[in-house]
Amino acid sequence: MNLGFVIGVLGVLILSHAAYSTIQYRGLLKITEEEFTGPPLNVVVELIVGLALCMWAALTFPGKFLSIHPDSDENRAVSLPDNSDFMIFNHRGRLFPPEITMKF
Amino acid sequence: MVTKTEERELNQLENQVENGGGGVWEYLCLVRKLKVRRSEMVLKHGLSILNDPGKRSSLGPDEWTLYEQVAVAAMDCQSLAVAQNCIKVLQKKFPESKRVGKLEALLIEAKGMWEEAEKAYSILLEDNPLDQVIHKRKVAMAKAQGKPSLAIERLNKYLEVFMADHDAWRELAEIYVSLQMYKQAAFCYEELILSQPTLPLYHLAYADILYTIGGLENLIAARKYYAATIDLTGGKSTRALLGICLCGSAIAQLSRGRNKEDKDMAAPELQSLAATALEKEYKQKAPAKLNLLTSALRSLKMS
Repeated sequence: MNLGFVIGVLGVLILSHAAYSTIQYRGLLKITEEEFTGPPLNVVVELIVGLALCMWAALTFPGKFLSIHPDSDENRAVSLPDNSDFMIFNHRGRLFPPEITMKF
Repeated sequence: MVTKTEERELNQLENQVENGGGGVWEYLCLVRKLKVRRSEMVLKHGLSILNDPGKRSSLGPDEWTLYEQVAVAAMDCQSLAVAQNCIKVLQKKFPESKRVGKLEALLIEAKGMWEEAEKAYSILLEDNPLDQVIHKRKVAMAKAQGKPSLAIERLNKYLEVFMADHDAWRELAEIYVSLQMYKQAAFCYEELILSQPTLPLYHLAYADILYTIGGLENLIAARKYYAATIDLTGGKSTRALLGICLCGSAIAQLSRGRNKEDKDMAAPELQSLAATALEKEYKQKAPAKLNLLTSALRSLKMS
């Protein structure tokens, strides 16, 4: 339950509150038979605040972003895996077995 | 493929483990994940875990994977007694297991008894005729016995069925190069580039082969692939930079007697750019060898 998650929940709540206010405002306009040109100013401010909070939470909550550059250190292939499926044991190193102890 | 950060992590863990700083299990897991061949280290430190019953039981079900890893490493270091013991423990735990059967056949192969190993693999193949690992082991055995043509034949048959196996294509390319059949090796590398075009190491190997075959068209193509490698690695591949310089000088030499259109293939700007990049890199990483490099580059431009 870190800060990003809390802020994200708060942003979603603010957005849904703004949506509910807009619906109520439209209901009010239907009673007074006026055109719906747009939500009132406070709802617009609420929307912008909700947008900012949700965006901030979306960027910080998921954690570390992966790099997309093909030549960054994370993505740059330095060597291919040694083909262990085709590994042969017939190499010169077999004349020098290491000294090891085995107790099982 | 091993990335730069993974390589750094591997080296750091290796240093830590060698100096007795712990982290053995993470090192072994990383070696298994990256599929690198560090058999001596794996054997030494894997045995240090397996010899201690306390550490062994703390691994839980991963204990058996460790036995398998240590068995293969022991075979690579020719400590066949260790390998035999590990396999015996695995056999007791998992009787009638195909995976343990493969390890047993691998041990017979490591002992050098080729006919028995072939028999063991054919028995395993009867139960499971489409087992990739066993087919690859048969190819490896042909290679180990010094019969590269047999290895090529078996590998070609394998690749007709399993065309998407990159390791097999790479192995085939390397066998062809060892037999100096460069055109066939070039074909294998083309397949690899087609399947994984973002991996610069394939472009680099292909360019090396084209440069080896020689001839003006091949040299021009080789230069293109070296340039592609530099593009994909962001200029961090020294070998590709050197390749461009060498290709440039070889092309200039070959097209010396030709007329003007062919002379335009020389692309002197590319060569000078690569030379400057190389000098900058050498100044940064190996300043002692900088004069070697500048004299080599100067002799290339002369010829």
